[in-house]
Amino acid sequence: MDYFLHLLIITAIYVILTLSLNLIVGYTGLPAFGHAAFFAVGAYTSSLLALRFGVSPWLGLLVGACLCALLGVVVGLPSLRLKGDYLALATFGSAIIVYSVALNWVTLTRGPMGLPGIPGFSIFGFQLSAKWAYLVLMMLFVLFTYSVIRRLVGSPFGRVLRGIREDEIAALAMGKDVNRYKILAFTLGAVFAGLAGSLYAHYITFIDPSTFDVMQSINILLMVVFGGMGSLGGSVVGASVLAIFPELLRFLGMPEAVAAPLRQMVYGLLLVTLMLKRPQGILGKYRWE
Amino acid sequence: MLRQVLLNGLIAGSIYALVALGFTVIYRTVKFFHFAHGVVYAAGAYLAYTFTVLLGLSPLLSFLLASASAGAIGVGIDRLVYLPLRKQKAPNLVFLLASFGVFIFLQNLIQLIYGAQVLSLRTGAVHEGRRILGAVITNTQISILLVSTFLCLALWFFVQKTRPGKAMRAVADDPIAASVVGIYSEEIILISFALGSVLAGAAGILISLETNLTPAMGLEAILKGIIASVIGGIGSIPGAMVGGLFLGLAENLGIWGIQAGWKDAIAFGILILFLLVRRSGILGSKSTTELP
Repeated sequence: MDYFLHLLIITAIYVILTLSLNLIVGYTGLPAFGHAAFFAVGAYTSSLLALRFGVSPWLGLLVGACLCALLGVVVGLPSLRLKGDYLALATFGSAIIVYSVALNWVTLTRGPMGLPGIPGFSIFGFQLSAKWAYLVLMMLFVLFTYSVIRRLVGSPFGRVLRGIREDEIAALAMGKDVNRYKILAFTLGAVFAGLAGSLYAHYITFIDPSTFDVMQSINILLMVVFGGMGSLGGSVVGASVLAIFPELLRFLGMPEAVAAPLRQMVYGLLLVTLMLKRPQGILGKYRWE
Repeated sequence: MLRQVLLNGLIAGSIYALVALGFTVIYRTVKFFHFAHGVVYAAGAYLAYTFTVLLGLSPLLSFLLASASAGAIGVGIDRLVYLPLRKQKAPNLVFLLASFGVFIFLQNLIQLIYGAQVLSLRTGAVHEGRRILGAVITNTQISILLVSTFLCLALWFFVQKTRPGKAMRAVADDPIAASVVGIYSEEIILISFALGSVLAGAAGILISLETNLTPAMGLEAILKGIIASVIGGIGSIPGAMVGGLFLGLAENLGIWGIQAGWKDAIAFGILILFLLVRRSGILGSKSTTELP
């Protein structure tokens, strides 16, 4: 039972990541291939604040989100001038640089040894420890993320984003400051990924760089694409299916040495098949251009 | 010490140049990022391991067989995945994502077959290197430099002087005009994938003479190959060579005195700098890098 709850909690974190990336990739049409960078910054910021300075995880969550916003602007400001493959490459590169810092700045992050003993959340002095309590917390955050992004994409702001996705030059011609909108969308997505990072770190209590490697970025992107770009329901479905499905392989009783590559092979095959048969994803409305 | 750093940079750079060269040969005709190029490189190394260590063939024969098989794998990827996408006139990012999918699939297939542990192609004792110009170089490193130089020159000759090479340049310049004069572009794409993938396989084999094999080796290779191509000038064959050498030297000078782990960060730092300041790269012309 505990394992099942754990699985749901992890799925919830992926749902937040996928929703936030969908805002960037699906709604604004920006190919961001490095979402794990913000996930990492959120996780490391609040963990380090809690471990080194005893800062409350709640405050750490906010500081992490702010740092992600800052990083979103720092990465977005120069790289969002690029388009298509080049933007994908630049964002991918920024994720590798963040991963590299987590791995190599040993005095700060302890590098590959990771950060053990991260304190959990507490509410009014009560330490959260039960799995179901965390599940409730995660569900609240999923709901929060979902409703904020839903409002965003339904607002005039969201209409501009979709306008940029459909035809950037037309949006420019309408007098919209396209670059500013792109950076805003990118930064907002980054903030939610940072929240997911903090939630993950304080739940799992141990983080190391391997959780935030380039394959993680591709995994999140796969969830967005699989569920459907520009569809929030699709993101929930995509993240849930792809987070839970690989765990089923575990029940087939395969040893981890076989199950791990097999799982990734299924991911790879799924990505290829999607691109060949249904590039807009199962619930998506928008295709890459 | 500086000389040793430069020599190490040169050797790393020659491998990057080979990967970038193969990537560029393919990019020129298809105009998308063939990310799975990296896994072809890894496959080359693992096939060479199979032929020499598991089957006991001679090193030269294994080198040839493994490079040829890598070429076949590259062509297979194109026929099975990219050709249907070309027929659908899919946008570049769909190609890129499909390529990521192929990459993940094949890398994990390698891991499933050979296991995640490191393997080594080296047989026999490790010899002490020679001293040349104040730097130590081993026989293996000399052969890496010689073979990669030879392959670069051979490719240059092929593209400049032979008939299919000229057809390749024509398709790269203007596919429609090329088809008007009777060049069948599918055939040229096939040749490009075969040639480019042979180069990737050869690079994978060469690097595994020097370091160990891991299933994830293709990721670093393709990242460095793409970076080298972009900083050299995307789509330019001399650019890929210059970019590879530049990247190898810059990385090794950059980590001089600090930890080697920062290499990737340095490489991507250089890439982002080039993307922002000079997207056409060192040798690229402005027109080849127009934004879509």
